[in-house]
Amino acid sequence: MRTSVHTSEAMARRLAKRRAAERRFRAYGIVAITLAILALATLFTSIVGNGYTAFQQTYIALEVTYDPEVLGLGEARDPKALSGANYPGLVKKTMRDMFPDVKGRKDKRALYGIVSSGAAFMIRERLLADPGLVGRTERIRVPADDDIDMLVKGHIDRQVPEAERRVKDNQIGWVETLEEAGRIERRFNTAFFTAGDSREPELAGIRGAAVGSLYALLVTLALSFPIGVAAAVYLEEFAPTNRLTDLIEVNINNLAAVPSIIFGLLGLSIFINFFGLPRSAPLVGGLVLTLMTLPTIIIASRAALKSVPPSIREAALGMGASKMQTITHHVLPLAMPGMLTGTIIGMAQALGESAPLLMIGMVAFIVDIPGGPLDPSTVLPVQIFLWADSPERAFVERTSAAIMVLLAFLITMNALAVVLRRRFERRW
Amino acid sequence: MSGPALILVLLAFSAVAFHLGRRRAFAVSASAGGVKNLHSLPSYYGGLTALWCALPAVVVLGLWVSFESSIVENLVVAGLPEETRALPPERLNLVVNDIRNLAEGNIVSGEVVPEMRAAADHYLELRRTAAAASAVVVLCVAIVGASLAWRRVSPSLRARNQVEQIVRVLLIASSTVAIFSTLGIVLSVLFEAIRFFGHVPIADFLFGLDWSPQMAIREDQVGSSGAFGAIPLFAGTLLISFIAMTVAAPIGLFAAIYLAEYATSAFRSVAKPVLEILAGIPTVVYGFFAALIVAPAIRDTGAIIGLDVASESALAAGLVMGVMIIPFVSSLSDDVINAVPQALRDGSYALGATRSETIRQVVLPAALPGIVGGLLLAISRAIGETMIVVMAAGLAANLTANPLQAVTTVTVQIVTLLVGDQEFDSPKTLVAFALGLVLFVVTLCLNVIALRVVRKYREQYD
Amino acid sequence: MNVTAERMSISTPHPPTPAGLFPITRSGPESGSEPWADSGPGPLLESEPESAPGLSLEPVPDDIETVGEATVERPRMTSRNVGVMYGDKMGIERVSLDIGSNEVLAMIGPSGCGKSTFLRCLNRMNDTIDICRVSGSIKLDGEDIHDPRLDVVQLRARVGMVFQKPNPFPKSIYDNVAYGPRIHGLVDGRRETDAIVERSLQKAGLWDEVRDRLEQPGTGLSGGQQQRLCIARAIAVSPEVILMDEPCSALDPIATARIEGLIDELRENYTIVIVTHSMQQAARVSQRTAYFHLGRLIEVGETNHVFTNPRHKLTEDYITGRFG
Repeated sequence: MRTSVHTSEAMARRLAKRRAAERRFRAYGIVAITLAILALATLFTSIVGNGYTAFQQTYIALEVTYDPEVLGLGEARDPKALSGANYPGLVKKTMRDMFPDVKGRKDKRALYGIVSSGAAFMIRERLLADPGLVGRTERIRVPADDDIDMLVKGHIDRQVPEAERRVKDNQIGWVETLEEAGRIERRFNTAFFTAGDSREPELAGIRGAAVGSLYALLVTLALSFPIGVAAAVYLEEFAPTNRLTDLIEVNINNLAAVPSIIFGLLGLSIFINFFGLPRSAPLVGGLVLTLMTLPTIIIASRAALKSVPPSIREAALGMGASKMQTITHHVLPLAMPGMLTGTIIGMAQALGESAPLLMIGMVAFIVDIPGGPLDPSTVLPVQIFLWADSPERAFVERTSAAIMVLLAFLITMNALAVVLRRRFERRW
Repeated sequence: MSGPALILVLLAFSAVAFHLGRRRAFAVSASAGGVKNLHSLPSYYGGLTALWCALPAVVVLGLWVSFESSIVENLVVAGLPEETRALPPERLNLVVNDIRNLAEGNIVSGEVVPEMRAAADHYLELRRTAAAASAVVVLCVAIVGASLAWRRVSPSLRARNQVEQIVRVLLIASSTVAIFSTLGIVLSVLFEAIRFFGHVPIADFLFGLDWSPQMAIREDQVGSSGAFGAIPLFAGTLLISFIAMTVAAPIGLFAAIYLAEYATSAFRSVAKPVLEILAGIPTVVYGFFAALIVAPAIRDTGAIIGLDVASESALAAGLVMGVMIIPFVSSLSDDVINAVPQALRDGSYALGATRSETIRQVVLPAALPGIVGGLLLAISRAIGETMIVVMAAGLAANLTANPLQAVTTVTVQIVTLLVGDQEFDSPKTLVAFALGLVLFVVTLCLNVIALRVVRKYREQYD
Repeated sequence: MNVTAERMSISTPHPPTPAGLFPITRSGPESGSEPWADSGPGPLLESEPESAPGLSLEPVPDDIETVGEATVERPRMTSRNVGVMYGDKMGIERVSLDIGSNEVLAMIGPSGCGKSTFLRCLNRMNDTIDICRVSGSIKLDGEDIHDPRLDVVQLRARVGMVFQKPNPFPKSIYDNVAYGPRIHGLVDGRRETDAIVERSLQKAGLWDEVRDRLEQPGTGLSGGQQQRLCIARAIAVSPEVILMDEPCSALDPIATARIEGLIDELRENYTIVIVTHSMQQAARVSQRTAYFHLGRLIEVGETNHVFTNPRHKLTEDYITGRFG
């Protein structure tokens, strides 16, 4: 074997160095991907770890005697009297009866704090539905206060000095007594899915926000899908190359990259201040989200139209079909799956969007579940934002749970888009 | 009749109009010797009638809705007592607000006086009348339009061409929505910003070092003028964006390189969707993650090694924002790297270059314009990102480059200033629009440059 | 073995062929339909469609052996029983061929016959294709190129390659040529680099055209200049063998003539293997010619022998333009 520059000793040394550099470079790539995946894993585990307990709620079983004296009813049984009766007093009385040894105003207040303030409302609903219960005794389950809920779920460390924790020693004692008596149980947290917002974590639910999101998305879908498809059809099939078309293209591409909060400013000053539409309404939210989603839908729809081969258009035109007939009969049906996929992805973006909705007042504290697109309401991501701001430990748990629900919706929508794409993907 | 119901009725009317127009086409064709003697298919005559029924009515409805509230309000104001009408416009606005709240059964700010009660009743009645009148007018327009079209149906009417012409105009109108959105953005932020610059000189705003807009709310307070120097906000925005980019740019770029050049297709088919999941997570979730998990973790770590870290440190917001932007950088770079022709790689390999030498010295230089464009888009996104900083960055306008301290950003201040009750004549509210204008202009420039660079790059290898 | 005695020169007009003489048994490989197919413009000498019974191929018998002189006395590279599989599709099989020192070996054959595939085996460029599997042994100066101790980087530095389409890097002319020496650490300092760039460009016959604009991008040159730049780039690494994969197929006749002249000059210092679609080109530049057909090496020999007196029927059919 002859030696040349390429087979010399020096070359072998250089080669070893180059191989090492190669391995290092490759390692950077692996590290980068690992870091990204690690970040995602941390995010998911911390949210699931924080939130999964929120799907359960601690309940306390109470022996309630619907004593007309305590309720301040006297002989009256009409709905008006029943709805105005002293239910908080009844709850307090029940608690006192369970722990007759508790004396002193401070201790009593601590005792009353074990059950949720929602207990009185529950009893009221129950009596309004069935006035015949007055005077009888029954065992009912009422939600525990959020601090007690946290204690039972183990989020509050009982070893911490009393002054530093929200649940006092005597409350822990009572809860332990109740636990021994089998009066404390953890059940599925239905309120989380059926209730609107509340200041009390144990009574707060996401239904109001979810319904608000639904209305906003319906408005968005009803506007952005037809407009987006129409715009895509025009730009892809009809538009001549002129300055107007150029201007439209530039605008679409820019709008896709404009910060979302700017759309909020637009909504605030145009839709609310200029047109006088109501604040906090899903209608306005839907309008703003429409403007934000349009670029996504237009770009996806244009790609779908582009993928339909020109031979199909030529075939239809060759049969004597008009351009409009060619498009509606042949091109649109073939491009529809792609357009729908783009629309679903756009809707998923809209569902997760929150910044512009803060601007148009969808950030209010709203207890009622909205009945229409003009009622004040909030949306799921904004609800998460509101809860994340609350100091209670129980709200951290509920925020995480609401995030899990939101992510579940998003994953479902994206999975739908993937299935749609797989199912109808066509190679020409 | 409420809006949605009116629209449903209008749809029903159009359906009837379609049916009638089509029937008439059959009828006139009978005398002309059969359907084949019509210019267009019967359904086009139906379609034309339906369009004439719906379109003018929708236009009238749109105009009505746009102007109803201001006309009703003027009428209500006209019915108010003399001394109320003489109030300055902003006070008058408050009164009108109160009347509206009263009418809708909401909580009213002031005390309810009989005049207001009367005005509220007046308001409610006007609204009811307006709603009824709008329904009548809109439906009348629909019927008139449909009957006009219906009477024109004849074998020689070029119905298909007319329908297609109308649809074409609708298509054009839809595609101009993008222009109108941009126009709407520009006008809405520009006018309010100009009003703000009437209160505060533009130079003080752009170059002032002191930011404390809260002071301006009450005129009798000390320091009532407030301070609107936006430099601390710009600095804070840049600091957080810089931290985000130092996370996202290397990780995103190296991930893209690995996926495009090294990874097997099996690995790619797993890793790419995982990165896309990062892109699909709502920003509010990242905000929660930053505020409740990352920020405390950084603070505790800092405490252990003896550093004083603010609980709302720029580092936490920047790190999480970086994670959010990783998929953005990686997918754009991936596209760009894949667009580099294989022939260039082959040429390099054939000279005996290793993979990394080929990537560093041939592929990356060739892809550089595209990558720069992608990074510019990523920076624009970092600057405009709102929820993460609202939740995890502070409100204190510190002028610092220390990532362990709290800083505030442009978007945080816009949200803080505009959430809640606003007065639209105070600089405190208007400054939000001035900030919005700056944000819009900066991101617009970045986007335009980036999109142009990327497009040029694409054309080079097409 | 059906060896025809009839002599045919490449300029002989195609003899009229009775339609039934070569029964249609299988269709010829279609260009571009297979991963290893040669793409790009067709050969310069293309048989006219009306006179070429392009589908009249006899099936190649399985026991075919290469006819002619596949071995030489002082080989630079040797290959024995080389086969390439793309997934489960055959690229080439049982190719045994020597490449002598300082000779130009031309490889000809119809599209998709495997000549480019074989060429890419010689510097292991097939490694960059995931599904490609190479078997058999290839040696460079007696050293197995698949030996795990041999670095592929080193192999490619010793066996350079010029591609069908000129592919200068988007860098300056200077950096294009200096790229190879720099990555291999062959130069130390600006002076040495300048010298090697000048020498390579001179050898590639490009120096006089570009000496004043070395800092301009290589992509700004004309097609022929780009291809000579790619040759200069390959020479700059001081390879022992240069592989050329249809280097002139994207060029006009004048540029082609310049490259062919260049190949002739380069033979002094380098061993050259060239794949070409043009039989005139093979006749003009090469000393030995190898004819490939459907993944097999059919015939190898002195170029003038192969063209004037082909021993194999398939070779004869090809060079007389019965198919192409």
